[in-house]
Amino acid sequence: MTNFIDFLLGGFSNGAVIALMALALVMVWRSTRMVNFAQVGQAMFTTYIALTVQQSTGNWLLALAVAMGAGLVLGTIVYFLVIRPVKNSDTTGAIIATFGVLIALQAGAGMIWGGDPEGFVPPVSNAGLEFAGRIWPISLYDILVLAVTAALVIGLTLLFTKTSLGLSMRASAFNPEVARLSGVRVNRMLITGWALAGATGAVGGVLIAPVSTISPNSFDILLVFAFTAAVIGGLDSLIGAVTFGIGTGLVISLVTGYTDASNAPVVALVLLALNLLLKPDGVFSHHGSRSV
Amino acid sequence: MLHIEKLSVSYGAVQALKDVSLDVPHGSVTAVIGANGAGKSTLMRTLAGLEKPQSGQVTFNGEVISGRKPEDIVRMGIALVPEGRSTIPELTVEDNLKLGGMWRSHAQRNASLTRVYTLFPVLSERRSMRADTLSGGERQQLAIGRALMTGPQVLLLDEPSLGLAPLIVTQILELVARMAWDSGLAVLLVEQNATVALRIARSGLVLNLGEVVKSGPAAEIASDEELRHAYLGY
Repeated sequence: MTNFIDFLLGGFSNGAVIALMALALVMVWRSTRMVNFAQVGQAMFTTYIALTVQQSTGNWLLALAVAMGAGLVLGTIVYFLVIRPVKNSDTTGAIIATFGVLIALQAGAGMIWGGDPEGFVPPVSNAGLEFAGRIWPISLYDILVLAVTAALVIGLTLLFTKTSLGLSMRASAFNPEVARLSGVRVNRMLITGWALAGATGAVGGVLIAPVSTISPNSFDILLVFAFTAAVIGGLDSLIGAVTFGIGTGLVISLVTGYTDASNAPVVALVLLALNLLLKPDGVFSHHGSRSV
Repeated sequence: MLHIEKLSVSYGAVQALKDVSLDVPHGSVTAVIGANGAGKSTLMRTLAGLEKPQSGQVTFNGEVISGRKPEDIVRMGIALVPEGRSTIPELTVEDNLKLGGMWRSHAQRNASLTRVYTLFPVLSERRSMRADTLSGGERQQLAIGRALMTGPQVLLLDEPSLGLAPLIVTQILELVARMAWDSGLAVLLVEQNATVALRIARSGLVLNLGEVVKSGPAAEIASDEELRHAYLGY
């Protein structure tokens, strides 16, 4: 039982990062109805930028802010690279193009920063906290990860539900024609969606880097988990992405704890397959919205 | 005033509109009638910028609007309520309304919102409910309300009566006619239900297979028995 609780607690901060990556996938899905497989590549690239900033200034907050800014810019660039040229054909072409972008980003990062894994120094201790006579599987850094994730999720929720920009973005996602007829510049909203997704993924990357290492391919596995979480959540639901992102983190932690880390991706894919068999619309999906 | 001159639109090889000319004056309702496939919706969608004309042009207060984007045309004061209760079911009633005219000042939008709630009290009662909980007639009111939120000078209404009970149709159309009269709004109304449309309209246009068969005072069209039999089917 102690093991179980430890494994579960150990999964939260990992789950938070998966939730952020899933959120990024969902924001792109909501704006252009496609999955951006380059999302983790973008996060990897911006995390390298953050690493460079941290190594030269020693300021973690600055590194995080620069990564977010770079994420906004990179999200916008990828939108113009991928969506604009293939806009009038079907989205299949654009989805394949996102794989191209992923490979290009990985190759580019390899050329700039080299292929060897590098460490990212956490801003606070990554050692398990000692409390009530034992060491718990939660560190000060895990708490920071959860706090940053919670702040970002709350910020995004307020943006989407309380602001005119958020309303315009939601309307553009639900019904672009009605949005345009209402005067919304839908294209700008789609770009904003991609940019915000880029920034969200960037935060996820910076948060996960200290507990793994960073190399051009180190986030690939994150894509499997985030994609699983996003799809189970319904692909267009922000709540779904967060809920199942954290859920996936907990499941991975249990699987890793009781068996072996190499089983985690398999379990994730089994969950994904089960979801597609039993509830293909996703758990939190607005009914029928996937037919678009 | 909205001025349409020799407008032609085609979808591939299909000629949907051919040399359609029409003036839509302020302060009254102009009805566009005709059978299915006559090109009525194409006309409306082209005016709103959703379809690109092949030839001809549309001017509004002297400015050419044909070929512009829908989001620019609505900002100039021409609002379309497309066919089929164009509301966003996932959003609340108030969010559906607030979506209209987001570029306008806070004061203008608040004034429009108050006006819409006065015109359609049922929307005020249901403001925090999701749009998909509304009845068909209420959703049509919401669609018109969203268009009014953009502060239009021209209102394009594409078959507001579709699937609604006759009593509700009469209510909505009479309200539209009153609005045109009271606030100098120019209304272009597409209807399959020619009787009701011609009753509230001052002038009318009959389309058949994309071409204008007749245009003139609504009363004249309504009393033209030959026209009625040939194109309007009653």
